[in-house]
Amino acid sequence: MFTEKHFRYVIILAVAGLIIGTWGMGARLLYGHKYMDYGSFVPWGLWVAFDLFFLGLTAGAYIVSVLTYGFRIRLFAALGPLSVFALLVTLLCEGIIISLDLGHPLRIYRFLLSPNFGSMLFWLVAFIVAMWIIYLTTFFLLLREQLVAWSRDEKRPGHKIYRLLAGGRSDYTEADRARDHRRVRIMSYISMPIGLLFFGMHGAVFAILLNRPLWNGAMTPFLFIMAALLSGGALITFLTYLFHPRDDLVQPLGRIVLGLLATFLFLEALQFFVGYQSKVPNFVASLDLIAFGPFWWNFWVLHLLIGSAIPIYILITRANDTKAVSWACFLILVTFFAVRLNYLIPDLAVYKLEGLQNTFFSHRLRTDYVPNFNEWLVSIWVISLGLLTFFLGMRWLPVEAAGMEEEEHV
Amino acid sequence: MSRELPAEDPLVRMQRDLKRALKKKPKEIQWGMVIDIAKCIGCHACTIGCVAENKLPPGVVYRVVLEEETGHYPQVRRRFVPRPCLHCQNPPCVKACPVTATWKTEQGVVIVDYNRCIGCRYCLVACPYSARTSDFAEWYTEGTPDLAGKLVGRKAAANGYEAHPAAEYGKKWPDRDHDSPVGNARKCHFCLHRLKVGMLPACTTTCIGRATIFGDRSDPQSLVSEMIGSPRVFRLKEELGTLPAVYYLK
Repeated sequence: MFTEKHFRYVIILAVAGLIIGTWGMGARLLYGHKYMDYGSFVPWGLWVAFDLFFLGLTAGAYIVSVLTYGFRIRLFAALGPLSVFALLVTLLCEGIIISLDLGHPLRIYRFLLSPNFGSMLFWLVAFIVAMWIIYLTTFFLLLREQLVAWSRDEKRPGHKIYRLLAGGRSDYTEADRARDHRRVRIMSYISMPIGLLFFGMHGAVFAILLNRPLWNGAMTPFLFIMAALLSGGALITFLTYLFHPRDDLVQPLGRIVLGLLATFLFLEALQFFVGYQSKVPNFVASLDLIAFGPFWWNFWVLHLLIGSAIPIYILITRANDTKAVSWACFLILVTFFAVRLNYLIPDLAVYKLEGLQNTFFSHRLRTDYVPNFNEWLVSIWVISLGLLTFFLGMRWLPVEAAGMEEEEHV
Repeated sequence: MSRELPAEDPLVRMQRDLKRALKKKPKEIQWGMVIDIAKCIGCHACTIGCVAENKLPPGVVYRVVLEEETGHYPQVRRRFVPRPCLHCQNPPCVKACPVTATWKTEQGVVIVDYNRCIGCRYCLVACPYSARTSDFAEWYTEGTPDLAGKLVGRKAAANGYEAHPAAEYGKKWPDRDHDSPVGNARKCHFCLHRLKVGMLPACTTTCIGRATIFGDRSDPQSLVSEMIGSPRVFRLKEELGTLPAVYYLK
């Protein structure tokens, strides 16, 4: 249950994170990538791992909105606005961190001027934009009634801003409500294929690379879809516990997360099995790095023990304990970043040509990448901004109020 | 005393081939390279020549020389494999770029438009040969003091050598700062700026063992075509289907 005290703590934490992270942001904005530790052989580092993490988290809201508005399952209706808002905030964090990772972020307009329709990365960005459009519209439609109500409340601070956000409307009829919900349903139908393509395309960016044995394969997009649903589902379950601590909501979500976790672990085990059986040297080298490399604890302790074994135990043995279920999901959520790092770095960290390590000595031409302090500070800044946006948004926007009577409209 | 002239230096023949190629219509030329690894002595002169020609900053390198060791002591062998960009006919980097900042010219050279590249580094990840590097805005003279009247420091050393850009792609780039090519993917371009004025690529002219042969693959009279026809020829990672325009001789 999220109280006023918790709210203050989170805001203090987020503001502290923003202040601390400013050092890294300064280094990035003033000196570009000069003081970051990724290079040309490991060109994607911590920020791209966070990008994968944030994009995956959006899947929780996708599940809820599809179940609620697409399949009209009333159970999760109260979570609709909350989950859509969480999706938008995670997309915001993703957008910021990946922009910072670009060498020339101001040239982003190039996606419009000179698109390469054959590039998976182009399509990923196209689907990200589509998700923004779909869910920003959905969010507006879900909140409009409450925005109008809040704008009419003269005593409410900032009521004029709410009127602006409501599109200048001062009345909201039953017909408006029916129309908005019909539009939300249409958006949800559109989001069904778009969302699947979005999460699948995320995997396709990696899957098509023939020279990357850990990534290359038809299973990768499916693995990404499952990873997204799992981490996103865990996020939504935990947020539900914070803002709608109802047994009938959290516990079914916990069971869904348990199923997703089991499926994901099975797919991961398959990947290891196929990799080790194939005996392709680079594939085996990458898997060895994950399981027995210098960051073995990332895999065994963070992912498998804290992020999988303990949550599975809790979700099975204490399936009817709402608090335990939500904390199990919290463990999955925070340790899922280790999964993203474990997926991204080990393939990059294997030299793709024999002898490459002895050719030209530069710290940019090495595969032993460890994120440096500046990279962590920038990540802290982005996460803090996300936390601040989310919790202030929950306070200043009618997200909870919009979810109150949602069941009867679904 | 023999009255025969010594054998013609391959550079002289390549220069002649180049002159002949430049008289053709551009679209009729297919630039290619053959590297005879039996002749490569691992001196790295090509790497240095390339770095000097293109004024490459720390961490940016277009052509490296791989050192491969095989066998077990005492039966060991070492061979050197210079690796420029292989200018694949089916280049994975070109397909990867989301904003068409890199493409293959009609003469078969994979190039980068520095002013279009957004610096996402997906092409670096996609290249099976690790032939692309990113410019992280580093300087060899980083941290050296700038003292008035002394030949030390970034500004003074060699008259600001590092700051002045190379004529890559035959263009005049601004002094190296935050602008491109800083933040971009960079790669070997077969010294297109030299070819334009009738000069062979820097790696070819600096190769003391004449292990690097460059020319027009579509010209059957050229040395490069002759070498491609050798039974010793192979290409790196052929199983990937990238069809490199750089060939090797065993």
